[in-house]
Amino acid sequence: MNLEQGGNGQPIVLSGEMYKAISEVISELATKIRAKTIIFSDMNGHPITQRGTATDIDIPNLSALAAGDFSATAEIAKIIGEKEQFKFIFHEGEKFNAYLSNVGDNFLLILIFDSDAALGMIRIYTKRAIATLANVLENAKEKEEDSTSFVDVDFNKYLNQELDKAFSF
Amino acid sequence: MFINWAKQEITLKIVYYGPGLSGKTTNLHFIYNKLDPSLRGNLVTLNTKEERTLFFDFLQLEFGKIKGKKPRFNLYTVPGQVFYAQSRKIILSGVDGIVFVADAQKDRMDDNLDTLLDLEENLITMGKTLETFPWVLQFNKIDLPNRINSSILQKNLNFLNVPQFESIATQGAGVFETLKSIINLVVTNIQGGV
Repeated sequence: MNLEQGGNGQPIVLSGEMYKAISEVISELATKIRAKTIIFSDMNGHPITQRGTATDIDIPNLSALAAGDFSATAEIAKIIGEKEQFKFIFHEGEKFNAYLSNVGDNFLLILIFDSDAALGMIRIYTKRAIATLANVLENAKEKEEDSTSFVDVDFNKYLNQELDKAFSF
Repeated sequence: MFINWAKQEITLKIVYYGPGLSGKTTNLHFIYNKLDPSLRGNLVTLNTKEERTLFFDFLQLEFGKIKGKKPRFNLYTVPGQVFYAQSRKIILSGVDGIVFVADAQKDRMDDNLDTLLDLEENLITMGKTLETFPWVLQFNKIDLPNRINSSILQKNLNFLNVPQFESIATQGAGVFETLKSIINLVVTNIQGGV
C-alpha cells in the first residue's frame, strides 16, 4: 500500500475512496470546531483536502510552511533527546491560533481557528478526528492504482507543449 | 510525489541544491517574476537578516490540465551555507528531482564539490544515489570574468553525464531551460525509467 510508505521520496498515492473518507472526517471536524481553515496535507506539505470558512488563505504556501515548521520541530525533539516527536505544535496569535499535529508518520493536520475559540473543544474534537483518520489510513485496502499508471507515454509530450507556451517570452 | 486519483492531481517536488550564494534563490525569483501569474503561486522566502536563505524558498507552478491530469511542481531551494545541514535534509524529504546550481567562479570549485558530496550523502540516507536519481546541473554566473571554463566544470562535476546548462540566473539565461529539463526528467521517472 503506497500510503504506508511516504517520506524519503517514496510516492504517496491516494485512491478516490481514501480521499472521500478523509474529506468526510475533515468536513465534520471543520463544522464542529468552526475552523477558519483545516488542511490535511502530507508531511511534505502537499495539501490533500481543506475545509473552513476562510477563502483568503494561500493554502499551498501555508501547507509548505507548516510542513517545514513541523519537520524542524521534530528535529528539535531528536536533538534534545525526545524519543517521540512532539505531539503537536500550537501557535498563539492575537486573532488566530494555529495548531499542527501529525497523523501517523506521513500526514499532517493544520488547523487555523479564532483565538477566542474554546481550546478544550478544539483539542478533543481534533484528537478524535486524528484517531479516525489514522484508522482510515490503516484500514486502507490494497489499491491497484500506482504512480506509474497515472501518466501515460504521451503525457510528457503534451506537458512539453504547455511548458513551451508558458516559457515563451 | 503525491498523487490524488480523485482529483486527478499529481504534485512533484523539485529542489534547487548547491553551495551558498550560487544562485538558487535567484533562479526562483526569476521564474516567479517572469511566469504568467496564473501559472504560479506566491513566492515564499525564509531569509536571515542578511538576505541569505535561512530555511527554504517555495514556489508552486501549475500548467493547467494535461490529458485530464493536473500536474503541479513545487520548487524549493535549500539554504546553501554549510551550517544548515540539518535543514537541507528536511527539505530533501520527498524530493522527486534536483537542480544542482554550481557557482562557476574559480574560487568556488571546492564549495561545489563539497556540496555535491553533501547531496550524495543525503540521498544515500534516503536510499538513493546520484546515479539513480533524476538531477540536472546548472553552471551559474558564467558572465563573471573569473569563471571556470565549462569543460573543467563538466569534468569535475558532471562525471555522471546528467543534463547540464550554463546560466546567468540574474538575467534569466538558462533558467527556464534548466527547469524544463528537470520537469521532463521527473515525469519520465514516474513513467518508470530515467
